[in-house]
Amino acid sequence: MSIIEVKNLNKKFKIKEKEKGIRGSIKSIIKPEYRTVSAVNDISFTVQQGEILAFIGPNGAGKSTTIKMLTGILYPSGGEIMVNGINPSKERKKLAYKIGTVFGQKEQLWTHLTPYDNFKFFGAIYDVPDNEIENRIQELKETFELQEFINTPVRNLSLGQRIRCEIVASLIHKPEILFLDEPTIGLDPVVKENIRKLIKKMNKELGTTIFLTSHDVGDIEKLCKRVIIVNKGKIIMDDTMSNLKYHYLDRKIVEVKLKEKVALNNEEGINIIKEKANGLKIEIDSKKKTIADVIKMLDTDKIIDMNISNIPLEDIITSIYKGAKVEVF
Amino acid sequence: MLMEVKNQIKVMFLSLKYNIMRQMTNKVTFITNIVFMILNNASFIIQWIILFSLKNEIGGYTIKEVILLWGMAASVFGLSRILFNKAFELSELIINGKLDTFLVQPKNVFLSVISSETKISAIGDLIYGYICLLLYGITIKNVILFTFFTAIGAVILTSFVSIMGSLSFWIVKGDIIADSLSNIMINFATYPGNIFKGIVKILLYTIIPVGVSNYMTVDIILNFNLVNFFYIVIFAIVILLLAFYIFNRGLKRYSSSNLMNSRI
Repeated sequence: MSIIEVKNLNKKFKIKEKEKGIRGSIKSIIKPEYRTVSAVNDISFTVQQGEILAFIGPNGAGKSTTIKMLTGILYPSGGEIMVNGINPSKERKKLAYKIGTVFGQKEQLWTHLTPYDNFKFFGAIYDVPDNEIENRIQELKETFELQEFINTPVRNLSLGQRIRCEIVASLIHKPEILFLDEPTIGLDPVVKENIRKLIKKMNKELGTTIFLTSHDVGDIEKLCKRVIIVNKGKIIMDDTMSNLKYHYLDRKIVEVKLKEKVALNNEEGINIIKEKANGLKIEIDSKKKTIADVIKMLDTDKIIDMNISNIPLEDIITSIYKGAKVEVF
Repeated sequence: MLMEVKNQIKVMFLSLKYNIMRQMTNKVTFITNIVFMILNNASFIIQWIILFSLKNEIGGYTIKEVILLWGMAASVFGLSRILFNKAFELSELIINGKLDTFLVQPKNVFLSVISSETKISAIGDLIYGYICLLLYGITIKNVILFTFFTAIGAVILTSFVSIMGSLSFWIVKGDIIADSLSNIMINFATYPGNIFKGIVKILLYTIIPVGVSNYMTVDIILNFNLVNFFYIVIFAIVILLLAFYIFNRGLKRYSSSNLMNSRI
């Protein structure tokens, strides 16, 4: 069952244009000129209930604008949105009870209050009865392991602890959909991993649909089964994570350490990425050259060590952003 | 509907409580903020004492009425800033796209935004207002009318500054206009209404309604007039509805932002 349905969604912004210098400033007062920018340009997609979806793209692609239209923050210039059967621009308040939002770059919590007081405040905002709110806080405190700092003012928490509290605050009213806009920004790898585990747990145990935007490939790879890639306001890819990887699995990275230097020409299907002393890093297009061919060319007797890997997802995504063939960096 | 209003009020008072709790974390700053605001207000009365030593009355007011006028201006400003301080910063919030947090909550955005901050020094203004009333002369009638008009005046002032702030949805750099007009409203509040004539007077009773929120209310305390009383109440309701309407219309033009910010 679709929980989010988006049809031909558009968002245009009018931006004032000004020529350089004082002359331009005076001219823009007398005769201002505007330019219309399409931040989101005719996009359509659906999200199924219980799905974890990655909605990614480079900066300025229209990700945040889309999320803001889905959550009722921005009014669309055109198109249709239904989130849990509700039109966000017509029934913003009704929708707010059904969704939770976490913006990694924007704090929702009061920094001088403890997480406990914050949760009580958010409970009041979402009209959760007083007796229920205590139980809910207790429940979330255990799930998200907040015992140690639930009574410490938010300003004294580490970034990881704060993000955990931000997520809990957005879950206080048991939302059916959670919008996460870069939830792991600025976190260290261990905390990132914890947050990811919690998101996964939430999805599994509570059946919460997760709509995630992130620049962190780890978030996408470890959490999402489906990915939508946007660029310049348009969807350029909407596919499962396994399909995304599969399409690029015909390219392998081979790193070898050799006893002595081997001259390997740039043949068709082989691309030398790095060559240093007796080490070699090459990219192989397995449709044109098999791994066995390359090993033969290298001479097995001379190989000390060898590593064969897929192209990193990060490189795949970067290339899709650029609309180019995948290249390894 | 009734439940919705009840819950909205509950959130507004929680917000006020938490704001005051925050300020109270530093006791010395909390108290000095209030005390110095009272002293600051008191210093302006000296100007009037000097003026009244030269002239017996100004615009029909003696020093006693001017003290009452000052009291009304201070308490209206104080109450407005205690409950709805963010109304005075609405422009900045709109221009910098800081309404997102309120837009994802199931509450009235306008009320949630303007009541999200309390100015602690404004408690000093409110106390100063009642000190002035004490100096003018306390009777039960005076206290009731003064309190009632403080609330009505705060509604008018908050609505006015909110409308000015909401202009930023349409006007780039609307904060400059909003600040100027809001300052006029506050600066004119402490002068006897009768010294203004012609167009200025018309402006002060209509577009910049300091005449309604301050001059007329003080006049009613001095000489009760039922027609004017109802005029003020109706004016307050109309301007409040207008503030809601303009803000909600503007919200459709809200463009958010990607600035990094935090709720402090």
